[in-house]
Amino acid sequence: MMKGALIAALFGMVTVSAQAAETLPLDAPIPDTVPPGTVLRIGGLHDLELKLSGEADKLPFKLEFVNISAGPPTINAFHAKALDVGFSNDVPAIQAMWLGLDVRIIAVRLRKDPETPAFQFGIAPKAHIASLADLRGKKIAFSPGQAQGSVVLRTLKQYGIRRDEVELVELPSNGNSYLNALAANLVDAAPLTLIPIKRYAENYAKDGGKVLPPFGIKDNPLILWVRAETLTDPAKAAAIKLYLRAWARSTAWIAAHLDQWIDVWYVKDQGVPAEDGRFIETQLGHPDIPQDWTNVIRDEQETIDFMAQETGRKPFDAAKLFDRRFETVSGAAFSAVPH
Amino acid sequence: MQPSPGVTPGSPYLPARSERQVKAATAVPSRRRLSLKKGLSYGWVFGPLALLAIWSLGSALDWIDPRILPAPWVAVTTGATLAAEGRLVPNILVSAERVGSGLFFGILAGVLLALFAGLTRLGGYLIDGVVQLKRALPIYALIPFFTLWFGIGEGMKIAVIAVAAFYPVYLQTHNALRGIDLRYVELAENLRLSYRDFLRHIVLPGVLPGFLLGLRFSVMTAWLTVIIVEQTNATRGIGYMVNLAVSYAQTDVMLVGLVLYAFLGVASDCVIRLLQRGLLSWQRTLAS
Repeated sequence: MMKGALIAALFGMVTVSAQAAETLPLDAPIPDTVPPGTVLRIGGLHDLELKLSGEADKLPFKLEFVNISAGPPTINAFHAKALDVGFSNDVPAIQAMWLGLDVRIIAVRLRKDPETPAFQFGIAPKAHIASLADLRGKKIAFSPGQAQGSVVLRTLKQYGIRRDEVELVELPSNGNSYLNALAANLVDAAPLTLIPIKRYAENYAKDGGKVLPPFGIKDNPLILWVRAETLTDPAKAAAIKLYLRAWARSTAWIAAHLDQWIDVWYVKDQGVPAEDGRFIETQLGHPDIPQDWTNVIRDEQETIDFMAQETGRKPFDAAKLFDRRFETVSGAAFSAVPH
Repeated sequence: MQPSPGVTPGSPYLPARSERQVKAATAVPSRRRLSLKKGLSYGWVFGPLALLAIWSLGSALDWIDPRILPAPWVAVTTGATLAAEGRLVPNILVSAERVGSGLFFGILAGVLLALFAGLTRLGGYLIDGVVQLKRALPIYALIPFFTLWFGIGEGMKIAVIAVAAFYPVYLQTHNALRGIDLRYVELAENLRLSYRDFLRHIVLPGVLPGFLLGLRFSVMTAWLTVIIVEQTNATRGIGYMVNLAVSYAQTDVMLVGLVLYAFLGVASDCVIRLLQRGLLSWQRTLAS
């Protein structure tokens, strides 16, 4: 608070949000009424899906969508208190806890068909790698704080390759940085996701570049997550509960209206061909929003322990990361809508 | 002997002599031209045109891998498609607005602080050191902090552009101010000029060339900075367009963004050069 006040005084441009009159304990039931004037700032551009599915008009509070969804920018925005609900995979949330930011996962999106994961390994034209077992002795792109990093480490483990048997090249994955690194033979292998998979296979096959088939490692779940502090504001907590239902219902709606979604979002809004949109949705998989987090937390513990061991951090109890007051909220809403 | 017209003694030498005299009148003082020859008015386009020609030729003959650099006409066709879909102009306007607001605050602060630092001792002590120190910080490293201080909205974006645009104007104005020849200042003193007249007749013409040079750098910097700030929570703007293209690996759209940036940068530079020509018409320099 001291620091905030000092900076506000220095710059005179920071709006310090009014402190809530009462604070909600982190184990108290979530209230149902949202006081007027409540605003929720959501990461990722979900306004269109809420509008299309007709959920947006039903919410009795203001939603602001912020175009931030990757892990590191989400953590920055949380630090700046510029964001209420983040949307990413689970690794940044673990990273945030290690960085001293107290966060909670409030919803989880899995996929129905875990055999076709979002990540596939791209192989550089000059790498001479026929299968993942050939990764030993090769240069692999590695980003410790992102899902890409955990994919690499889990793959190595699955194939019994020790970390010192490969060269991990630290490279954050943003945009198509991994595609470019592969194309330029800067690394031998890199986990690609979504459109770069398609683009790399299309553009560099003639040089000898290739994308290896899926390799039986489960995808990291996508999560909605918040700062624990946000949940102590009863107004925000109540609004979040309503938002989770709207999000879950619109996710189900999109799964049921994929063609319309691809046309409105990918083609009209994002300006990419429909086939690219379809490719991305196929990679993302048919959504599943579980009502029971028991397995999710067990898997998360495995991820935490594994990341901790591989990156030299202290493991912590995965249950600390989940706010189970929200456990059934999104799942129940999801299963109530045909998808 | 009667001199007859055309045939005077020594007349055969006359033309020769007069030629020599002409030569002597012009060449003997041997004034060699040190300034450049009169330039073509649009001579500067030759370099870019040559580059464009090489690029076109390389693409047409398949020497340039289109996966690394698409052909120049791809920028035109993709740009036309984007414009027809209504993706281009709104994005340009949004970015231009950010650049404009950032420039306004940056230039205002740059000029005021440069004058304060240049015309008063106190200002020099207080301002100049801080500015020089801060000049060493890359704008990219400032963005996380600006996010913490100003949030992720328009305020942060404009603040970053303003800071980036501030330096060139400040530095060049301040430098020009401190570089005003002492003889002019003494002249003003001897003429018993009031401080206001001193500012108007000595300081203003003295700093104007520096300020305008700084302005040229500032405008370019502002355009360069907008692409960086539009990586954070933007849903419109050329930077957003380029970043979106990066995430979908659309090289052609990325190229459009690049060409657009070059065009906007050069166009705004031309505007300031016109301004320069108008305001500094009294200057006689090597380039004129």
